Amino acid sequence: MTALLVFAAVPLGRVQRTTFGGLPASGAEVEGPFNLEVPPHTTVAVIGDESSGVDTLGGLAMGMAHPPEGRVVTLGAEITRLDRVGQLAFRRKLGYLPAGDGLMQNLTLRENVRLPLRFGSNFRPRDIEGRVDVIIAQLRLTRVADLRPAQANAEERRRAALARALAFDPELVVMEEPFDGLTDSAAGELLEAARGGETAAGGRRAVFITAASLPALLRSRVDRRYRLVRGHLEETH
Amino acid sequence: MVGLLAAVGRGTARWLARVGALARFAFEAVASLPSLPGAGRRVAGRVLLNQLRFTALEAVGLIVLLSGVLSYLTIATTIAQLDRVGASELIGKLMVVAIVRELGPLLTAIAVVGRSGTAITAELATNTVLGEVRALEGMGIDPYHYLVLPRLFGCVVSVCCLMVLFDVVSVFGGYLAAGLIAGMSGTRYLGIVLANLTTQDVILTSLKGLLFGLVIGIIPSYQGLSVRRGPTEIPQAVIRGTVHSLALIFVLAAIIVGALSG
Repeated sequence: MTALLVFAAVPLGRVQRTTFGGLPASGAEVEGPFNLEVPPHTTVAVIGDESSGVDTLGGLAMGMAHPPEGRVVTLGAEITRLDRVGQLAFRRKLGYLPAGDGLMQNLTLRENVRLPLRFGSNFRPRDIEGRVDVIIAQLRLTRVADLRPAQANAEERRRAALARALAFDPELVVMEEPFDGLTDSAAGELLEAARGGETAAGGRRAVFITAASLPALLRSRVDRRYRLVRGHLEETH
Repeated sequence: MVGLLAAVGRGTARWLARVGALARFAFEAVASLPSLPGAGRRVAGRVLLNQLRFTALEAVGLIVLLSGVLSYLTIATTIAQLDRVGASELIGKLMVVAIVRELGPLLTAIAVVGRSGTAITAELATNTVLGEVRALEGMGIDPYHYLVLPRLFGCVVSVCCLMVLFDVVSVFGGYLAAGLIAGMSGTRYLGIVLANLTTQDVILTSLKGLLFGLVIGIIPSYQGLSVRRGPTEIPQAVIRGTVHSLALIFVLAAIIVGALSG
């Protein structure tokens, strides 16, 4: 089975940012190349502190950072090798929950979920509204959908950011610090929403999580857990 | 001596690198226009309308006040002197050259930098610091399309419209001042002004509107999206955006005057 996301011999300490967003590299003290695979329908979590280089993995997976050596292959493509338009179009196949949510503060939660569909698809407005209503109901956001992010609480904002990441029903979801500040039960619910259910069309989504820590309740629900120490992966059980 | 030369060289290299980065940003922003997806045009169009409302519509009062006061002051302080030497006909030349061609575009641009340039830098810097720009890119939305181009076009259209408004109000203000202060008939005043207004003046004013609008759209956007370290950098970015925009606008105005007189 072909992995949906492959990191092959990537030196995390020398990753270069290629896009606007994101702060400069955190100065990770990293030794050795990084290797990892995320197979289909699997939830993989990489845990590590700031100096481990874990905060660069999400950007690499989304093609928003460039590895000077090695390869990062996402859904069969090296995104950073595509031209700018190709990179943007490719990212619409992926779900991305960035650290800190990244919700547009001048839009309501509903408008945030609607934004990628309105900007990046040719669906009719009625179809877009239908899709947005479904996702908002799935993430239990109906009551607060018309609030702006600053008026919602941390859990509602995280749900809205995940709803937006799932707008295109992606095969692979990349989540950075998704459970930061959430209760264990809220974190569990969020993870289940990201994975989705078994459907006639196929199995659950693949989910790639990077975080400083993982709630205890979630450890058994994650298929593969790794700890990243200075660029070296240790599988934990 | 070598140390001094090295310091000057380093400073020049840093300045050239910054100018190069700004030029690249401007080129990439404009070059991204053809790749704006059809669906994205509608969304970007809404952002553009919002920018026009803020930059043009909400600035009308300020521009009317500035141009009215400026034309009144110009006429009130000069017409008596011109009359004394029998050169009151020069009031038309003064209105066209000083206000319509030079001060009108310059003051309009300064007003727009003060209102909208600062707001654009602060807004985009906040977008960057809060991770919104990164999230946009993660969703496959080009920040040039969603954030920069609507502001760029909004500024160009707004500055051009506000310049026309400034000139019309200042000519009308001069009409009132000439009548009230010097007892000049309205027909004579308008006749003098229109006789001095050439096609070249109209073209020059339009060119300045376009150039100043581009400056106000590009530099504050660039400074806003260049914030990297965090919220404490936002005020610094706003200052850089404002100062660099004003400096470039004055330099462009001087270059245009120099090119015409040369």
